Amino acid sequence: MSCLLQLTSVTKSFGAVRALKGVSFDLRAGEVHALLGENGAGKSTLIKVITGAHQPDEGAIEVRGNRVPSLTPGEAHRLGIACIYQQPALFPDLTVAENIGIRLEALGPFGRVRWGARRKTAEELLRRVGAEIDPDAEVRSLSMPEQQLVEIACALGAGARIVVMDEPTASLTREEQQRLFGVVQGLRADGVGIIYISHRLEEIFALADRVTVLRDGESVGTRGVRNAEGSDPDRSGPTLTENELIQLMVGREVASIDPPPSTRPGATMLSVRRLGCSSMGLRDITLEVGTGEIVGMAGLIGAGRTELARILFGLTPADSGEIELAGKPVTIGSPREAVALGIAYVPEDRRRHGVILEMPIADNMTMAVHERIFPGTWLRPMAERSLAERQISDLGVKASGPDAIGGSLSGGNQQKVSLARWLATGPRLLILDEPTQGVDVGAKSEIHKIIRRLADEGMAVLLISSDLPEVLGMADRIAVMRGGTITAFFPGGSDARTVMAAALGQAVGAGTGAKEGAPC
Amino acid sequence: MNLPPKTRMLLRHETVLLAVLVAEFLFFGVAGRNFGTPDNLANIVRHSVEIGLLALVMMPVVLAGGIDLSVGSTLGLCAVLFGKLWRDGGLHWEVAAVATLGIGATAGGVNALLITTLRLPPLIVTLGTYSLFRGLAEAITHGTDAFTRFPPTFLFLGTGRIAGIPAQAWIFVSVAVAMWLLVHRTTFGRSWRAIGFAPEGARYAGLPVGRRLAFAHVLAGTVAALAAITYTARFGTAKADAGTGYELAAITAVVLGGTSIFGGIGSVHGTLLGVAAIAVLGNGLSRVPATMSNAGELSGLLTGVLLVLALAGGAVPKWFVDRRSRKDPAPVLP
Repeated sequence: MSCLLQLTSVTKSFGAVRALKGVSFDLRAGEVHALLGENGAGKSTLIKVITGAHQPDEGAIEVRGNRVPSLTPGEAHRLGIACIYQQPALFPDLTVAENIGIRLEALGPFGRVRWGARRKTAEELLRRVGAEIDPDAEVRSLSMPEQQLVEIACALGAGARIVVMDEPTASLTREEQQRLFGVVQGLRADGVGIIYISHRLEEIFALADRVTVLRDGESVGTRGVRNAEGSDPDRSGPTLTENELIQLMVGREVASIDPPPSTRPGATMLSVRRLGCSSMGLRDITLEVGTGEIVGMAGLIGAGRTELARILFGLTPADSGEIELAGKPVTIGSPREAVALGIAYVPEDRRRHGVILEMPIADNMTMAVHERIFPGTWLRPMAERSLAERQISDLGVKASGPDAIGGSLSGGNQQKVSLARWLATGPRLLILDEPTQGVDVGAKSEIHKIIRRLADEGMAVLLISSDLPEVLGMADRIAVMRGGTITAFFPGGSDARTVMAAALGQAVGAGTGAKEGAPC
Repeated sequence: MNLPPKTRMLLRHETVLLAVLVAEFLFFGVAGRNFGTPDNLANIVRHSVEIGLLALVMMPVVLAGGIDLSVGSTLGLCAVLFGKLWRDGGLHWEVAAVATLGIGATAGGVNALLITTLRLPPLIVTLGTYSLFRGLAEAITHGTDAFTRFPPTFLFLGTGRIAGIPAQAWIFVSVAVAMWLLVHRTTFGRSWRAIGFAPEGARYAGLPVGRRLAFAHVLAGTVAALAAITYTARFGTAKADAGTGYELAAITAVVLGGTSIFGGIGSVHGTLLGVAAIAVLGNGLSRVPATMSNAGELSGLLTGVLLVLALAGGAVPKWFVDRRSRKDPAPVLP
């Protein structure tokens, strides 16, 4: 079997964060090679290395046995590497044939377009991917899976021998999935190598020949998949191989995070009952957080955790269900109302929502407490400065001073500024959304200590995190979200494997995992 | 004091503008005929008060990342309604003036409502009301009616002097001081700046984004009405075409004064320097024999040159800063 692509000991760092730590990976002709890993395990970085978007710091890339010294996106294209993203990148106002033509054709003399040839190429390519799509239809009128097929047709037309598919089924219905599987199998039969990324284990067992699992930027193993030809994705119940895979993904080491969990939560601070929001795909969420308690929220990206936080902070209205705060029913219509109720939200996207990068950190830290520290709307620079200086020393923010511009700080310190802004409001409920994402190790453990201290002081904390060891190590209780609702609760310090299985929708081991089969 | 780089850059922009202004004074003082006489200086002030007032209230709108193209039309509508209330409504001019301020506030409120509740882009909304308000003014006067023969006590506002200084200059200075305090010393200014830098970020910080934007537009409308009053008092007549094109003159002064059209960055004193630089240039050219006959065209042209130079002067250091900071987190390509 010939080797299409070979990566050897590839490393890639972004500042202090090492995204890939010596990953080796190979793809053979005519195979589907699945790439699996938790959020942040390094899958995206690896894909970007393969498509030439990122240059590796170290390591070798060979395509069809030839060493490629520097792989750029253009070079990748010439070598027949194509990537099908979750969201197809087509021109919505052009027709299918035009979209395919723009990607593939060289223009004739004087930039003339050969319409007849263009249409014929499009028809032929669409037939090859088994799509019944009118080449003259505008792309805007196509469904998402049809657009994906057009993307695949483009890849084929460009002579791609290596096709990367990044969660191609994330927005597809079951029948659409089946159709796509058919196309993938057809490509495989033609000798194309496919790198297939998905969180859905059943797809991997239905399609893949081999699986490589990434964890923390390292490849923890490549395994052959049994029953690769088995075409029964509805198989319920885990097989031994599924268990093995989950084991590989979460690793064996027990999550060790310094601060020990506190034990006794106090009175209920937040109580959410049957909360739903159809526009964001949330339904039937019931959750309680006690004073002094850290409730961790695990789940995959897109499971609805940030959306829940948005509702609780008044950024999006819920359309059903009740929220109670300290025993009183509340409606939260805007972030302002949330702040007034004592709810604070440290958002996931720190650079866009957490900190105003262009403004001094003192301004950022007082932004949620204008009324309190600037009564009568007049700015009081002394009061502001002293508050900022206290927060800087309390949280150990590394900055030149209160006048330092937010954007000049490192990620971890920006996160502390974002946290400081909300601690200044003296919240009763603190919602943290990925508080340590993109933060270096030192700042991460400092943030963990701060979170634990706040809980010990009686704050109710909802900790949303895709970092499973973080959730396991920090939380007194763990809620797992999947498909827009909470599917399971686990006690703090639960087995990583069990929690991961619940997040992936596999009913393994203990836990009160509710069955759910919601299409996305 | 250890100033952050952005503030330092801003200072530099304003310093440059001050130097330009001084250069204008020196040049026209030598080359111009009767440029430096008290009468001519008073003249410059009188002619720039309305555009200056509009620029002062345009500044917070732009600072918050928006724009208001309707202020010139608001001025026209307010001038006409003021005349109507006084002549046909039989009101004392003082009462009519107060009512006119209310009308201006309402006009600003219409903009605010459309922008904050319907979430339409300020450019589109105020482009619409730019036509709407002017259209209303023309409908009220049937395009031809003009209000004249105002009482001398009123005309004093536009032509008289208090302590040797043009009467409307006192109004302008009061508004300028108030705006400076509002922008640089209160939470309003702080919020406008935050919204200008990051509207979503400001919302996530719990700032009352809608109310702050609305306030800026209502303020713009109110002060446009005030400008309508000084305008009418200066010319002694109120017509539907009052203040035509003033919105662009005000925006030019604001941008020349160092306020970023993308919001977040800017100062009231910068805006004042911008107003002064343009006003002195226009007047000076009409005092130099060589340029006297086509001062209008030349001042437009030179204002454009000034604007481009001022912006390029700001963009070059910023480009270096950006380039340096871009290196830092995730280099995409070597």
